[in-house]
Amino acid sequence: MSWIKEGDLNLLEKISANVLKAGPMPKHVAFIMDGNRRFARKKNMERQEGHMQGFNKLAETLRWCKHLNIPEVTVYAFSIENFKRTKEEVDGLMELAKQKFERLLEERDNLEKHGVCIRVLGDLNMLPLDLQELIAKAVVTTRAHNKCFLNVCFAYTSRYEITNAVREMAWGVEQGLIKASDVSESLLSECLYSNNSPNPDLLIRTSGEVRLSDFLLWQTSHSCLVFQSVLWPEYSFWNLCEAILQYQLNHKSIQKARELHQEHQALQQLEADRACVAEHLQHHGNGKPADAQRRQEALLHYTACREDRVQDFLEALKHKRNSFFSDLCSKPVLA
Amino acid sequence: MALLYGLLWRLLLLLVHVNTALVSWLRVRLRSWKGRLWERAVAALLLPVALAGFPDQHKKLNHNPDATANPVTGNRDDGRRARWLSDGKALEKLPVHVGLLVAEEEPSYSDVANLVVWCMAVGISYVSVYDNHGIFRKNNSRLLEEILRQQNLLGVDGSKYSIEFLSNGSDKHNVVSCRPTVKVLSPEDGKQSIVQAAQQICRSVENKERSSKDISVSMLDVLLRAPCRPTETSPMTTCWTLCRDTLPASRDLDNDKSSEWTSPETV
Repeated sequence: MSWIKEGDLNLLEKISANVLKAGPMPKHVAFIMDGNRRFARKKNMERQEGHMQGFNKLAETLRWCKHLNIPEVTVYAFSIENFKRTKEEVDGLMELAKQKFERLLEERDNLEKHGVCIRVLGDLNMLPLDLQELIAKAVVTTRAHNKCFLNVCFAYTSRYEITNAVREMAWGVEQGLIKASDVSESLLSECLYSNNSPNPDLLIRTSGEVRLSDFLLWQTSHSCLVFQSVLWPEYSFWNLCEAILQYQLNHKSIQKARELHQEHQALQQLEADRACVAEHLQHHGNGKPADAQRRQEALLHYTACREDRVQDFLEALKHKRNSFFSDLCSKPVLA
Repeated sequence: MALLYGLLWRLLLLLVHVNTALVSWLRVRLRSWKGRLWERAVAALLLPVALAGFPDQHKKLNHNPDATANPVTGNRDDGRRARWLSDGKALEKLPVHVGLLVAEEEPSYSDVANLVVWCMAVGISYVSVYDNHGIFRKNNSRLLEEILRQQNLLGVDGSKYSIEFLSNGSDKHNVVSCRPTVKVLSPEDGKQSIVQAAQQICRSVENKERSSKDISVSMLDVLLRAPCRPTETSPMTTCWTLCRDTLPASRDLDNDKSSEWTSPETV
């Protein structure tokens, strides 16, 4: 079944969408698509069929998001913890993923028409090589599209993502691109797999479970979390509207918390820069305490240098990640 | 048209607010009305369950004198403590670590202290308390006082806690009810502590003490779980262990459940 479902909303859905759009709308929604297996049990289907239905529901949800002008969606497709399931189920999921990515490549014209950019986040080297190659092709093919964005988290957990970000920063230090003192919250955020996206405004988890399951822990620190008891394959347009309404009700207080946090971050960065400058002046000064003007000049200079260093490092990181995908694409396809 | 939708949206929000207010008002009213009727209904429904359902609870109370290190005396406090602990064990699952996120602008110290003491009484070993402005962290001596006060009021005496093995024969059911630990957290203990750990790692990479390839999830985990250390803003350590005994807690429980990261779950 296709990734893209065409079709408009019916009249009632259109009216409700317009009413919701009169208020603040989330620009990035994340879904934990839980409940496929329970759905399969409930309908006496095979588990595999449950996962298939789950994928169909994903395509439908993307259509709703498009009509609601939500440009970015992130989904939790496969956790590193899921590798612990039975070999049969894991192989089945890998096979499903392969089919879906192959299908995606067949639909590339349609994807271009709708401007869909697909990104896959996770420790992809844990996946079978043929799946990695398919993923790389999908990512490279849709890289330039910019109307809407779908981030699929595959072989992903938040802890691995954060650890990877720390490793990348350490790599930057090893390469002499940045200093250890440049490490900050915003730099770490730029090194995550999701660095090309803004933080999710809304996180929705289905099937009634109330836990985070190691998904986007860093990015959802100031997001609206909504837990709904419906099983994922049974998700409806009205469930989505309900979640968005929750977001709208809490919008102001979340905005306030975000702004406070950003102010605090900026202050911390300023203090860190000041401390570095003070240390520098102490070491290279001539024993006399520097006057306020000299300190201020040194601070501005240091901040500018730091920002340049960080930019160069992030460019190098981006290049490294793009090469990973391009290299996979240029490998001969396994027959 | 946009104006109409705007009005409809405001009306929708108003309806939701009215609905929420109505529901909470009803809940308060029903609680007082439900009082007598509810209790009788619950008693009637649960009586058969009580007779048939929790035989373990009775058995464990009877076995206590044999199993515990401290023999249960006729002391009223010990009886209450044993009952609370067995209440906890009668539950199918008991969390090892409970986190309290207090979102009020002006948190109530006595309410939080009550929650902490109840958790400890039921057998929960680790309780973390967090508030968004770092109020508890700044005033942790006041919180500690309040907790000790509530402990005394309830007759839960910290100094009597020691490691008790409530065993019913097989290893699987050993419950180590060890000394409860309360940790007070503030926003600095969130992302900032991860950033500090990252800085530490990068500094050691800068000094060529390790390579970026050595960095793993478990390395970061160990750094983040480093024992409670006093911070600059609060020289007093903000991690208390409410027991004067110095018996070590079981490492197995630590590794399994009480983690500063969320425990990974299958999706």
